[in-house]
Amino acid sequence: MALLELKNVTKHYNGIAPALDDVSFSVNEGEFVSIIGSSGSGKTTLLRCINRMVEATSGEIAFGGIVVSRLGKMELRQVRTKIGMIFQQFNLVDRMSVIENVLHGRLGHKSTLAGVLGIYTREERWQALRIIQMLGLDQQVYQRCDQLSGGQKQRVGIARALVQNPKLILCDEPIASLDPSSAKTIMDHLRSICTELGVTLIISLHQVDVALKYTDRIIGLNRGIVVFDGPPGELTSQRSAEIYAKEPKDVNIDLGERNAS
Amino acid sequence: MIEIKGIGTEQFSSPNLNTAKPLDRAALAIRLTLLVLAVTTIYALLTINANGIDMPKAILDTLSTLRTIFFQPYSYHFTVWQGFWEIVITLGLAFLTTLFGGVIALFLGLMAAQNLAPKWLTNVIKSVVAFIRAVPSILWVLIFAVAAGLGSTAAVIGLTFHSVAYLTKAYSESFEDLDRSVIEALMATGANWWQVVFQAVIPSSATYLLSWTFLRFEINFSNAVAMGAAAGAAGIGFDLFMASEFYFNLHEVGLVTYFILAFAIILEVLATNMKSRLMKQA
Repeated sequence: MALLELKNVTKHYNGIAPALDDVSFSVNEGEFVSIIGSSGSGKTTLLRCINRMVEATSGEIAFGGIVVSRLGKMELRQVRTKIGMIFQQFNLVDRMSVIENVLHGRLGHKSTLAGVLGIYTREERWQALRIIQMLGLDQQVYQRCDQLSGGQKQRVGIARALVQNPKLILCDEPIASLDPSSAKTIMDHLRSICTELGVTLIISLHQVDVALKYTDRIIGLNRGIVVFDGPPGELTSQRSAEIYAKEPKDVNIDLGERNAS
Repeated sequence: MIEIKGIGTEQFSSPNLNTAKPLDRAALAIRLTLLVLAVTTIYALLTINANGIDMPKAILDTLSTLRTIFFQPYSYHFTVWQGFWEIVITLGLAFLTTLFGGVIALFLGLMAAQNLAPKWLTNVIKSVVAFIRAVPSILWVLIFAVAAGLGSTAAVIGLTFHSVAYLTKAYSESFEDLDRSVIEALMATGANWWQVVFQAVIPSSATYLLSWTFLRFEINFSNAVAMGAAAGAAGIGFDLFMASEFYFNLHEVGLVTYFILAFAIILEVLATNMKSRLMKQA
């Protein structure tokens, strides 16, 4: 059954060329999908449209049978609690400890007052600790996040997403600012989250080889258009060249890329 | 010693140091400004209207007055303990206005921070606050004195008013320091605005908020002294006013000045201590 369905999603920033042009695809539960494409091809915009951090101009996005595009503020928050998100720059609160940052993932499940005061239940703390252990951060539980390395920060980011008990995790270039060995650790963790916990993941990537190695399905974007959608086995070098093609004849390219980034 | 002769000095030095900074428009403007200022200063000093005052004698008298103030502090009208108590009242005035100002400014600051509030709201609050700041505290106190009468009430309201404006600007700029992306990350987990503010924005800017509040407390302390003198609010400022304007007692002026100085130093030391402890902790 499809967990996520995008129908004719289009996003115009205030330029001529759209950042997303009529994007349609569906993602099944438990799939590990990567989105590849050159910078400015609309990968980030696509991810952000799904949880409406960016509003799509037109089209329909359905998550678990609910049409996200038409939700009011409260219901949107409800949906967002089920969608985790991981970022290239980690986006943690640097001055707070690892456990506090992880527990931030629970805020959406709490009443405003409990969240404001930072009151978490025993079970929530227990669950957070278990996830932190699972990701191998048990030595850093009470350390401040600005003392961590990039790879460790990203694992805190993953823990924050996991503690939400999400059905879907959106990963926005999670390994783009990490060294190769940390990147491998992160990708291994993401793979096992998908396989063992059955969470659906959508990840935007720069590295085609990583996408080929780790993910079940690849979606190629070129200037907001889906130019490839299939298993890694079908991605020949010819198709991959299509994804990254620049087409110098087309005058709109540069404009399109600038607006999308 | 390692021989480094010949490296550096000859090879890398510029041929002529005088031309190192060419006389461009900016340099010329600065030099001209300095020249004009120097000329006007000399002209003013030469043509000053002394109004029959014997300058050397006046300077000597001033020195003797200063000597009376600073070397013979003594009190005729209040004991040391009374003076201490008056200082505590002044401190109370400063504390109360900083507290009121801080609490109100915290919320206004959130509404004035561009990463937290809609643009029209931040613009409205920032311009109102800029207007309030442009008018000096003492004027606000006198304005409120029309309604509340001269005294401590007008002083508290007036000083609070100005503190709010000052701290709102300082706080909102501290809040704006936090990256928008962190706020977005928490919004993406389904957290609402209040939760994001109290779980991410305020913890991230806590040390800035505290140092701005301490700074404002120091400003409010000296303002509270002035209010005691000018607006009839109680406290050490009123004693200073009485000693200088009513009794013409320079010894007492000296004592009060020393009192204020001592407390200002104590405040400064305390504030620095607390700040460094917080920095270590947070």
